[in-house]
Amino acid sequence: MIKLEERRASIQPVKSKLKISILDDEDIKKINQTARDILEEVGIEFPSEKALKIFADAGAKVDFDKKLVKIPSHLVADYLKKAPGRYTLAGRRPELDVKLGEGNGTYFQSSGEAPKIVDFETGQRRPSIKSDVANMAKVADYFPMVSLIFPPVSAGDKGETAPIHSAEALFNNSEKHIMTESIDDAISAKYTIEMASVIAGGRDKLKKRPLYSMCLCSIAPLAQDRAGVDAALAFAEAGLPVEFMSMPTMGLTAPPYQAADLAVGLAEVLSGCVLTQIAYPGTPNQVCILPAVIDPRSGDYMYGSVFSQITSAAAVQLAHSNGLPICSSFSFGGNAYKLNSWQVGRENVYVPLLSVMAGADISFGPTGLIEAVNVLDMSRLPFDREIFQAIDIITKGIKVNDETLAFDMIREIGPQGTFLGQRRTAEELPKLWPPSILFEKSKLAGEKYRDAEEVAHEMIDWILKNHHPAPLDENVRQELRKIVAAADQDENLKREIKGSKHG
Amino acid sequence: MDNKGLFAKMEQSIINYDKDEAVRLANMALEKGIEPVAAINEGFVKGIQAVGDLFGREEIFLPELVMGADAMTAATDILGEAIKKSGGKAKYLATGIAGTVEGDIHVIGINLVTTFLVANGFNIKFLGTNVSSSLFVDQAKELKPDLILLSALLTTTMPNQKEVIDSLKEAGIRENVKVIVGGAPVSQDWADQIGADGYGENAGAAVEVARKLMGV
Repeated sequence: MIKLEERRASIQPVKSKLKISILDDEDIKKINQTARDILEEVGIEFPSEKALKIFADAGAKVDFDKKLVKIPSHLVADYLKKAPGRYTLAGRRPELDVKLGEGNGTYFQSSGEAPKIVDFETGQRRPSIKSDVANMAKVADYFPMVSLIFPPVSAGDKGETAPIHSAEALFNNSEKHIMTESIDDAISAKYTIEMASVIAGGRDKLKKRPLYSMCLCSIAPLAQDRAGVDAALAFAEAGLPVEFMSMPTMGLTAPPYQAADLAVGLAEVLSGCVLTQIAYPGTPNQVCILPAVIDPRSGDYMYGSVFSQITSAAAVQLAHSNGLPICSSFSFGGNAYKLNSWQVGRENVYVPLLSVMAGADISFGPTGLIEAVNVLDMSRLPFDREIFQAIDIITKGIKVNDETLAFDMIREIGPQGTFLGQRRTAEELPKLWPPSILFEKSKLAGEKYRDAEEVAHEMIDWILKNHHPAPLDENVRQELRKIVAAADQDENLKREIKGSKHG
Repeated sequence: MDNKGLFAKMEQSIINYDKDEAVRLANMALEKGIEPVAAINEGFVKGIQAVGDLFGREEIFLPELVMGADAMTAATDILGEAIKKSGGKAKYLATGIAGTVEGDIHVIGINLVTTFLVANGFNIKFLGTNVSSSLFVDQAKELKPDLILLSALLTTTMPNQKEVIDSLKEAGIRENVKVIVGGAPVSQDWADQIGADGYGENAGAAVEVARKLMGV
């Protein structure tokens, strides 16, 4: 039985005693070298004039017509040195700080950003709206397994300013660190940075305790998004952390080999880091490489593939060899999803488990996303909590000392005895039987345990009704409202978004 | 070599995914004064049908399908020009134009849809990504396609699918074409809401929808 009680938000990283190395030193060296060869000889497309100029001024080879940047290896080396290996993604309170590079283990981040949701009341799939973002933020705020929040679903009812509305809903419903992925133009970036600044109490305070950060996904292979790069520069200018993500797909947007996939992905994310380090040295950077395969019959993106996962976990060693924190792996939620599908369960166990054992700083934990991250089903979260708990237990390993060897107990009880009625057993046994939704006793005759689906649904229902995330001051809420309203009226923003993907 | 032998070679060039050979044979057909419609129908189409069948039986995968469709497109581009001049008509199941709507540069999905349709005997012109409503309308007026396929991968660009449909109405040509929409955030509900004729969840579904709409 999981005890549900009113409590403030808390976070819980997983510190693993189990370590895996997928690549040896020679492998790491070769992949790093290939990534540098890609940067130097093939180049990365940066359709942002601003970015091209920054690269050119720093001494990279820039072709302004082709919008192509070739970055010599010495520049990569020089500028990566400026990226901090340790920094904090701040929560609203210090207890909620995600401290990277301090050996705290792997922090789990909610996954996203799905365009659809399973309606909590009707169980029907529908496009997600702003109130769904708010509800999920509330649920994520409650669960300690979620250490930082990625927008779980889109505020699909808000048009061009959906990402700004989403930020408002997240800020209003959780004290945890918020990382955006859908703010991908400089104007939207400015509005939401202003929101974060109002919450922090000014730009300087925000810079010191960045409670907001962004993630920019490149366009595989080897290109960055113009408006997205401008947004990243706006975040870096404000002193906020910027994560560069790559999703190279073997045989589609990268060669059909795991090693090449890593090299392409690494080149993409490093190009972003180098840009922000040239423009704003010391910007907290993080990388995320999510390799995938495709279903060779349909082209469906298959991140849950074992080939993807082991490659994703290998990226941890590559990021760390470059002195950068990494978010590795994300809960994909299966492709062939049906409610109760075992496929989701299978993937959600080994995907983050590998990532934790590989020593990732952050992992997109399983947080209710299903159908290849296209649908959020909040009722899945209690199941994902079970998985998180299992991973935590597995990776803690086994404690071996005089107390746990318990020779004294064994000598005392001896052959044919029982250890049940012992004080130490009374103390320890509950630790071996952690709270679970799977074993709730049923009151129905002939049914041993209650239907876990039902228990999970009740749990989320309780959280939605009873959990009250620490609210922002009313004047701050009003300020945020004003900023969002101004964004809604901003014709420049609409133009920028409409044209944002023009190469 | 008689025409029959040449047609067999054309068919084989697609089955071998041999683009260079397909192009060579298409040009040879024109030089020899062979009817381009016949070259497509008796030669290349048979090849792509064979490739499509193999793919359907999972004996080959997407890379081969893409190579086959590429070879097919390269050959039919050459022959298509000649057909346009002569005013003939090749035996395609239907014709169409496809692209990702304005503001959106996602290319993979619509590329696969185009490939699948080509491999299934449709003649599809790929307009690329970030295609404006006016370009869709202009192309629809010029090419008079049976189908228009609109992709959108972002919730923020989905409304542009509606914009294309509205523009087709304004231009008075909405009734001449069937519009199929797709993309991750797109659903049947959305398709109904904006007055599209069909929705395909993936490339395979797009082919089924296209066949159904065209009655082929």
